[in-house]
Amino acid sequence: MAVERTIRHIKALATGAKYMLGGHRLTLMYPDDIQEFPDGYRGMIEYDWDTCIKCGLCAMVCPADAMKMYVSKEESEEGKRPVRRPGINYTRCIFCGFCVDICPTNSLKFTKVHDVAFYTFEEQIYPPERFREGIPKPQYDKEPRRVRAVLDEKRGIRYEPVE
Amino acid sequence: MSLEERELEVLIGPQHPASGHMRLVAKIDGDIVVELRPNIGYVHRSVEKLAEVKKYLQIIPLVERPSLADTTANNLAYVMAVEKLLGIEPPPRAQYLRTLLAEINRIHSHFYGMGIHGVMIGSSTAYMWCFGDREPLIELAQELTGARLTYSYIVPGGVRRDLPQGFEDKVEKVMRYLENRMPDYFDLYFNNPVTRARLEGVGVLTKEDAIKLGVTGPNLRASGVPYDVRKAEPYAAYPELDFDVITEEAGDAFARVMVRVREIQESIKIIRQVLKKIPDGPILNEKYMKMIPPNLRKQVEETGHIKFPGVFANLRVPAGEAVARVEGGRGEVVFHIVSDGKMSPYRMRMVTPSFRNVILFEHLTKGARVADIPAIYGSLDYFPPEADR
Amino acid sequence: MQDLLSIIMEPYVFVPLIFPGITVAFLLLLVIIWLERKIAAKVQLRYGPLYVLKPLGGAIQMVADLLRYLFQEPIIPKTVDKLAFIMTPALLFGTAYLPTIAIPVSPTFYAFRSDLSLLIVLALSTLAPIFTVVMGWASNNKFSLIGGIREGYIVVSYEIPMFLSALSMAVLYGSLDLVEIAEAQKGIWGIFLNPVAAITMLVLMYMSTSKFPFEIPEAESEIVAGAYTEYSGILYGLVMGASYVKLYVLSLVFTILFLGGWNPIPGFMANDPLLPGVLLFIKAFIIIVIGAFLRAVYPRFRIDQAMDLGWKTMLPLSIISIFISLVEVMIMGGA
Ligand code: SF4
Ligand code: SF4
Repeated sequence: MAVERTIRHIKALATGAKYMLGGHRLTLMYPDDIQEFPDGYRGMIEYDWDTCIKCGLCAMVCPADAMKMYVSKEESEEGKRPVRRPGINYTRCIFCGFCVDICPTNSLKFTKVHDVAFYTFEEQIYPPERFREGIPKPQYDKEPRRVRAVLDEKRGIRYEPVE
Repeated sequence: MSLEERELEVLIGPQHPASGHMRLVAKIDGDIVVELRPNIGYVHRSVEKLAEVKKYLQIIPLVERPSLADTTANNLAYVMAVEKLLGIEPPPRAQYLRTLLAEINRIHSHFYGMGIHGVMIGSSTAYMWCFGDREPLIELAQELTGARLTYSYIVPGGVRRDLPQGFEDKVEKVMRYLENRMPDYFDLYFNNPVTRARLEGVGVLTKEDAIKLGVTGPNLRASGVPYDVRKAEPYAAYPELDFDVITEEAGDAFARVMVRVREIQESIKIIRQVLKKIPDGPILNEKYMKMIPPNLRKQVEETGHIKFPGVFANLRVPAGEAVARVEGGRGEVVFHIVSDGKMSPYRMRMVTPSFRNVILFEHLTKGARVADIPAIYGSLDYFPPEADR
Repeated sequence: MQDLLSIIMEPYVFVPLIFPGITVAFLLLLVIIWLERKIAAKVQLRYGPLYVLKPLGGAIQMVADLLRYLFQEPIIPKTVDKLAFIMTPALLFGTAYLPTIAIPVSPTFYAFRSDLSLLIVLALSTLAPIFTVVMGWASNNKFSLIGGIREGYIVVSYEIPMFLSALSMAVLYGSLDLVEIAEAQKGIWGIFLNPVAAITMLVLMYMSTSKFPFEIPEAESEIVAGAYTEYSGILYGLVMGASYVKLYVLSLVFTILFLGGWNPIPGFMANDPLLPGVLLFIKAFIIIVIGAFLRAVYPRFRIDQAMDLGWKTMLPLSIISIFISLVEVMIMGGA
């Protein structure tokens, strides 16, 4: 019993030492490295003003009430039925992607950006006019390296730079 | 001194490094716990009530939120209940994909639980390793579903995405990696004499008590009860797969950890089978597939990402009741939906494994030592938001 | 200038102020906490502190932390016993470092020489835990109280066997004078003569300084930070440093008892404190690093298990080590 325990102590210490001397690390060096996500990543959403048929399905399916139909000031005319277009509120969006999947004209598309960082509350609301201008470009002090996660048999996960 | 004078009441949490989102009211006599009562409800989010005002599809992300580490189980159980009401079956390929994601999720959920348990008994290495090795699995799930944890992958009638290109290879790599790492886990953590001393014989749950108290999941199986919903009431692709129900006899904290470890190995087995056996075919029920406009249907076939038919926005479910259960990482998840034919359920009941296991806090800690509180807590893989819902 | 230097180089100034005294202890503190985090990080497949002076791997992280402690508001809760609460961190740190004055740096360089210097060091090193207990009481917090009591229990279970194993070496060398003990190891080191005593002393040293797996009095997941729960700012910085300083002192003693102290040094260097001092320090440093490495390997014991270990395993072992010494003394023909 005591012998077995001693062996186990030694094994534990040896394993610790093995890892201490090994060069294996799983860290993603954010923000020096920024991960490029695989295709189909559900990030912030892009809106195509021209193909949208204003059907309102996206707003209907949105579970978080992030996508809403706004009256489009540009197109609505006095006295007529207002024209409504979708706008998104990133304080509420949970990136479920239901709106993208339900849009019958592919007017909504995922981007791979998910940095929902803004200075003010208002900035996070994207009414249709702003929504069409696309997502804000993340800004960095220093241009980061883009890396991709590569799954690896030996090391689990490696982050390799992409060109 | 009378017992009352000797007792010290210690409030552990909700602002305590190891309490989680709840308060444990401990009465201790010296180093012995006389009584420990969990004070639950700090993260109650009223999921059941919210579900009554949300549409059926919108409830999918909602039910995922309470158990963040184990979202697929809730997602699957809920959708299965809805499907029963709708009277539709997902196509076989979708069944396999559901199983695949459920097992990937089970592995990383177990890692999550073991990691937290590790740091609760002081092994920061176990914590970091578990959380680090969870990452490849999350990366896999992200590639399949597009999100790290809140997949919302399973929808009525099927799943949202087909296997991406070259996914099998990546899965195989990760599975091999996990198998390679396991011996090191044993050497450094599970077989570490200090770990053993802290966990063996601590918080023993007998078979009888486990059944009597209605415990579920790995905690139940660690007491020698071979109960697993995947076998008891097979769903998804499980009837066609070959796997064992893992049990341990000891019923102590260490047995509970071991059940999780061995279940990870079993899940690896299942995932390999799924990828070998997965049939070709559609991933969404024909009924809904037909509702997708023809030009989009072609796109769906090309990309493997389904488009929702318009009815999904306001899915109406026939009146009736349905119950569905699923074996999640932490145990049995039960959904009971009562529909009155409207766009939202009349009532939705969600029974989560943590809710059923919380009774163990009081039961197992009686007579334990103060230092055993985190050791027992961690071994239950208890997740307060999941219990509070 | 020259005068100043010669004053500093006087042993009775140099020893308490430079090495092994406060300056080196302080520098060590800055390095070892960083190193401990780095080692743990390496085992745990991550980087650890990195961004404070990135080219050196975040080596001055602790300087940044120290600055933070210095400028952070030390919050003194209303309910604490103020005097005891404020005084104890300083006293704890002071008493932890006090034993360094009795530690010789080379055969001829020491603050004072005494026949009983081993006993003096050991006796002084037992003072610090008292203040931890006081701290636990003064904080008026249940977790602090439990932490203080745990410290008390741990002290009684490590102290006796640790002293016995240290004294078994005194039996072996026939002296309680650290200088003589170190000089006696010119040939063969104590660790080879009495490995049982060495292992016992090493384990108990880590126990006495709350290294893993004995990090019991401040077990985070159980009692937040034990006796230190209520401390913040520089007061916390002091109490956190104290256990490292204590480990440093005990490592020096261990080095002198078991690792030959400043040996081997060529005879002509013996009068110059530099080389012996460096050797002594390096050996002690290795012992401290091993203690830091343990954090990455072990969870923590329960208090009753640690006491079990102290009384049921370490005490018999330390008594055995005395017998080993006695037998060896007899074989070698008596000292
Ligand atoms: S991603 Fe989900 S939450 Fe966000 S706007 Fe679309 S439907 Fe709403
Ligand atoms: S974005 Fe798509 S779903 Fe939304 S209104 Fe336009 S066409 Fe309809």
